[in-house]
Amino acid sequence: MVRLITHNLLACHAKGCTTNNFPLQIKDAQLALREAEFNPDFLRGFIPRIEWAALVSAARQLGDESLPNEVPEMIDDDFLRGLHHVLLEIHIDEGAMVCPNCGHVYPISSGIPNMLLAEHEIG
Amino acid sequence: MKDQYLFIFAQAHDDFRVPELYSVAELYGFDLVIPEDFDVARPFAVLELEKEEHARLLARRCVLIRSVYEFYARGSNYEELHVGNRAARPKWEKYIPDTSFKFVVNGYNQSVPQHRQKQVIEHFSYMDFLGKIDMKTPEIILGCFEEYRDTTGSIRQKHDDDGNFREVFFGRLVEEGSARPLVGKFNVKKRAYFGNTSMEAEVSLLMANQTLAAPGKLIYDPFVGTGSMLYTAAHFGALVFGSDIDGRQMRGKESRPGIIRAAIQYGVQQRVLDLCTFDVTHNPLRCGGIFDAIVTDPPYGVRAGAKRLGRKKRRIGSRPDDQPYIPPTKPYELSALARDLVLLARYLLKPQGRLVFFLPTVTEEYQEIDIQMMLCDGMEVAANSLQDFGAWGRRLVTIRRTTTFNYSSPTFDADGGDLGVNGEEHAPAHRDFREKYFQGFKREL
Repeated sequence: MVRLITHNLLACHAKGCTTNNFPLQIKDAQLALREAEFNPDFLRGFIPRIEWAALVSAARQLGDESLPNEVPEMIDDDFLRGLHHVLLEIHIDEGAMVCPNCGHVYPISSGIPNMLLAEHEIG
Repeated sequence: MKDQYLFIFAQAHDDFRVPELYSVAELYGFDLVIPEDFDVARPFAVLELEKEEHARLLARRCVLIRSVYEFYARGSNYEELHVGNRAARPKWEKYIPDTSFKFVVNGYNQSVPQHRQKQVIEHFSYMDFLGKIDMKTPEIILGCFEEYRDTTGSIRQKHDDDGNFREVFFGRLVEEGSARPLVGKFNVKKRAYFGNTSMEAEVSLLMANQTLAAPGKLIYDPFVGTGSMLYTAAHFGALVFGSDIDGRQMRGKESRPGIIRAAIQYGVQQRVLDLCTFDVTHNPLRCGGIFDAIVTDPPYGVRAGAKRLGRKKRRIGSRPDDQPYIPPTKPYELSALARDLVLLARYLLKPQGRLVFFLPTVTEEYQEIDIQMMLCDGMEVAANSLQDFGAWGRRLVTIRRTTTFNYSSPTFDADGGDLGVNGEEHAPAHRDFREKYFQGFKREL
């Protein structure tokens, strides 16, 4: 759990933390690879929502160098299979996500990230 | 040119029947004509469809369908039925030469005794089917259904009313409903993990159908609790995502989270995209327009209270043993929650995406405006079905995002009261539902 697709959607949302609050840095990650169903239509629909640079750097940080620096113009099956693996099959089971701006630590335990804010961090 | 099909429905959740049919037809992109005199109090109805395949798709997906037959005839007595059936000869004459068949005769509200079944079948002898009768693996099944009136409460002998039915229907079986057995599969009592507010199986299946769940879609429950709606939406192929302010509900007591254990039981763990602990009014989602549907049963304060981050009032003194830190929460009033949910859905859904959620309401006070006033620009009601518990009920509301304009994330600070459509203050029946519930729905004098 905490797949990279989820990591790509989560930003620090503490009060006043509005710049440089994404992507969250992955710390002390315990990884697991779990097979997922390949659905090219889902991936094609989701590509416009991806922050590509953030996905590439998160994948590389976790040791997966397979993604190109830019989304290719020709989206073929090979590319989609690689993207599928990175987005949906790499899981962070334990560890933390840390805001690069304010340093808030969002711990991940049994695959579930705790994104709750403390009292002084909400508006 | 549309063809007629005889539908046999389960007599449950009457108010959900039409929305479910339309939702599944929309999911597969075909037309469905429901007659104007459609009566949900009756289990039989003749609907029009373009193709037999469409009838099969409905039977495989609609939880409230028992079976679908190609419609041959109906009548208030057998003379009428046989006149109609003779006229329908072009539909069945292709089965005359050598198709094996089986004949079933059933009654609704009253059983048909065997000797009468035999008589009824013999009256169809003019059809002259030459194929063999095969009780085990027939090529076609012909069904004749006598619909009796409900005589509950009246005193009569068991077979007094034999033949004195309201209407009789006849047709050829197209497909047995195969979604209905899912109610057993998703039975909460047999689930690896559930809580005291887990949604019952049949309703969570109906909710999944309202979301148009299918492969390639992404569906979100922002009050996921023990995950009841995730399993059914995932069963129909969707990827699902859940969040809750209280992570304990998602986890349970074992090291592997409870929702994952139940998802493994149903074989859908791959489709549980992720679970996150956060307050949806302070959510970390970076952008909107990502979900095909949002499905949820918001906590309404009777068994589980709705909470959001913040304090009811300042606490005096400090509590030293806050380890690990648990942020304080405050109650979330239902009508505010409902309006926020619609605004949030407009932001998080893709265009044409659906918000499907339960709204508890006081039966006697409910007015249609209660739902209308929750709406905002670009969000329209697609369906609204009541599950009636007497003094109160809950409405499964389906709202569609009709706009392609990208609205910004809501601020969740709207507490300016409930304004009706003409700007006048109107208190919806679901406002302060918790207080009304515990007062036994007595009206204030």
